[in-house]
Amino acid sequence: MSENNLAKPAILMAIIVSIVVITWEFTLRNKGNKIAYDDGPPLWANKRAMVYEPSDKTVVFIGSSRIKYDLDIPTWESITGCHAVQLAIEGSSPRPILEDLANDPNFKGRLIVDITEGLFFSTRSGNRPKENIEYFHGQTPAQKAGFWLNGLLESQLLLLDVENLSLNAQLEALEIPSRNGVFMAPVFPSDFQQNTYERQMYMTDRFLADTNLQYRVKGIWAFFAAGRKGAPPMPAEELTAIIESVKVATDKIKARGGEVLFVRTPSSNTMLAGENMAFPRETHWERLLAATNCQGIHFADYPALDHFVCPELSHLSQQDAIVFTRHLAQILAREKGWKFPSTSF
Amino acid sequence: MVFNSYTFFAFFAVILALHHLPLSWKTKKVNLLLASYIFYAAWNPPFILLLWLSTVVDFYVGRALYTQENPYKKKLLLVISLIGNLGMLCFFKYGTFLLDNFVLLVNAMGMDYHPAKPNIILPAGISFYTFTTLCYTIDMYQKKSEPVKSMLDFSLFVTFFPHLVAGPIVRPPQLVPQFESPRMATTKQMMDGLFLLSLGLFMKVVLADGMLAKSADDVFGTNDLLPALDAWAGVLAFSGQIFFDFAGYSTCAVGVALCLGFVLPQNFNYPYAAIGFSDFWRRWHITLSAWLRDYLYIPLGGNRHGLRRTYFALMVTMLLGGLWHGANWTFVVWGGLHGLYLWVEKFIRDQREASAGGDLVARGNPWLGFFYAFLTFMLVNITWVFFRSGTFEKAWQLLQSMFGMTPEPKALLTSLALLKIAVVIPAMVIAHWLMRNTKVLDVAHKLSWWMVGVIWSAMILLLIWTQESGSSFIYFQF
Repeated sequence: MSENNLAKPAILMAIIVSIVVITWEFTLRNKGNKIAYDDGPPLWANKRAMVYEPSDKTVVFIGSSRIKYDLDIPTWESITGCHAVQLAIEGSSPRPILEDLANDPNFKGRLIVDITEGLFFSTRSGNRPKENIEYFHGQTPAQKAGFWLNGLLESQLLLLDVENLSLNAQLEALEIPSRNGVFMAPVFPSDFQQNTYERQMYMTDRFLADTNLQYRVKGIWAFFAAGRKGAPPMPAEELTAIIESVKVATDKIKARGGEVLFVRTPSSNTMLAGENMAFPRETHWERLLAATNCQGIHFADYPALDHFVCPELSHLSQQDAIVFTRHLAQILAREKGWKFPSTSF
Repeated sequence: MVFNSYTFFAFFAVILALHHLPLSWKTKKVNLLLASYIFYAAWNPPFILLLWLSTVVDFYVGRALYTQENPYKKKLLLVISLIGNLGMLCFFKYGTFLLDNFVLLVNAMGMDYHPAKPNIILPAGISFYTFTTLCYTIDMYQKKSEPVKSMLDFSLFVTFFPHLVAGPIVRPPQLVPQFESPRMATTKQMMDGLFLLSLGLFMKVVLADGMLAKSADDVFGTNDLLPALDAWAGVLAFSGQIFFDFAGYSTCAVGVALCLGFVLPQNFNYPYAAIGFSDFWRRWHITLSAWLRDYLYIPLGGNRHGLRRTYFALMVTMLLGGLWHGANWTFVVWGGLHGLYLWVEKFIRDQREASAGGDLVARGNPWLGFFYAFLTFMLVNITWVFFRSGTFEKAWQLLQSMFGMTPEPKALLTSLALLKIAVVIPAMVIAHWLMRNTKVLDVAHKLSWWMVGVIWSAMILLLIWTQESGSSFIYFQF
């Protein structure tokens, strides 16, 4: 090439990149993919900053993945007129987030804590809550601006889906067999884990129609259950310490005028049976409510919430989430005395 | 603000547009200065005050040092400037470290002293801009160059955003003259700059963050004893990660400056093709090596006062160079190991009374040269163990694993992680060897235009595909 400049390669690069990106985007659109948002620390921090909104117009949700699937945010907001701030993180215990909110003197609002016993009462809370909390408290102006710009692009381009379409996500999806003894995290099908800007998760229609995909996720639950099989039960003093720490946190929020309510979201079949066996209601759920003196809604106590069948045993489909959310709001308003700006149930 | 973020792209587009408007040169410089402050304040706005303080003090002290004829007053001014600059660095970077060591010492002497842990936040890039301003002060004291005439030019020299946070560490004569007359990138400079920016982002986002970071983090983060394969893979992954991360940043910095019409010095020159350790330090973080040579090694005596003094100066330079990287004894040991390597190399060289390294290649024995380069690379990998480990226990544990001294190792890395390392690291070493005597832009200009276009496209598409953005550069913490 002549020694002058790289203008010609730059033009060629622009043409190739444009063609590939446009083709890629149209292929995804033709496959019926929907816009997905990176559920990383920036999105979580964006929601975390909303907990200071007026408490009569906002409810904060924390927990594990179930509340992210089971709470249909558009339904909640349309019938209650109340903003739902979703801070739950899948695969993790919400206790670090509960403590973070409890230690934040400016948080005086209403909080719903989703209980998935296997995660809530675990001593391993996962790294994500800690990472997200640290990110929120140390977020720089540049990161806030970056989040805004990223959101603009993500809202337009299907190919920006870090959890399912990025290079590493696609390499992981190959599930190259690993060496003996090396833990390999199972890969969830992308149709199982779609994430909205409000941090609601949902299964796609493809997932609901494809029993193979559902069995794959059931297999992943079985894989995790097998990992816990044979593990000794949690020592009584450890459970007591966990419940005590939750009480300390809920007391702090209530002392500031806030409100805390626990919700046990539905699970089905063998998943439910296993959970009932490993975490008996009396020793965990009832004890938690008694110790913290907080209200609770257990799906099994309400016929309106007790009839759902989770496609992969643990989470509701989006259609069922709409019904679940409607009933949850009704119970909160009619039985728990919660007041909402509107109640169009 | 980091180069690998959407924020930077928006910021850079605005700066480029402003720089191409028909404004006076002074207005353009003011724009660049304001932009640099915004670039810095995007991390933590209050720390901009430190930057201003450092700039103002060094500008006036530098001028006074140059004009002051009284040797005592001159020395006093120098001491004040050094205390100001290094004091700030010591407080923010080494405050906790010094206190911890003091507490350890007094407790070892039998005193029961347990002060509260200070919560000091390290201002981004303080090590880099302190070295930038220090060299100006020392140059003024030694009258090596003329004082900068305008405060605007001096502020821009210290703050110019491409080099501000993680180098390259620039000297006044390298950059200040470029601010004195209007500069606008030529088409060639603009294209070269964009190519370098793409390459730097590819190195950082795709290779460092996408391919290697997780394996390195896993291996250095585990408490388990590992099989040799996993331990070596993790260390090799880190050696690749830190190169692609830091050289990626420097390449972006040079590219960004070039797009604006400014030339920054090269900071990396295929260091993993170095034959021997003096060659390594001529290729790795070149501007820091040169700074340490000129402002530490030579004032300590260099090689002008006999063998013992040379060995002493070499070791002190490397130990302090290690400490510059971080407030931890593991960094000092990292520097010490490099000092030891340099000692051995010098000893062998003196014994042979002929230079090793480059000659092997020049004598037409490239295989032997490659063998020595590979040996150097492997020995450098040993030093990275101390650099990356937070504690000596961790470093020792990893070294035991690397040399198969673990009774019941537990495999950690997946086949995919090993595969990534097995592809990227040999490719990196071979590429360094093949490119060791050339520059990437020279190669790009020699290749056919369509070939460069295809390679450039592949880099951009992989960048888009990797979808990693906004993660910090490793050297920001230094």
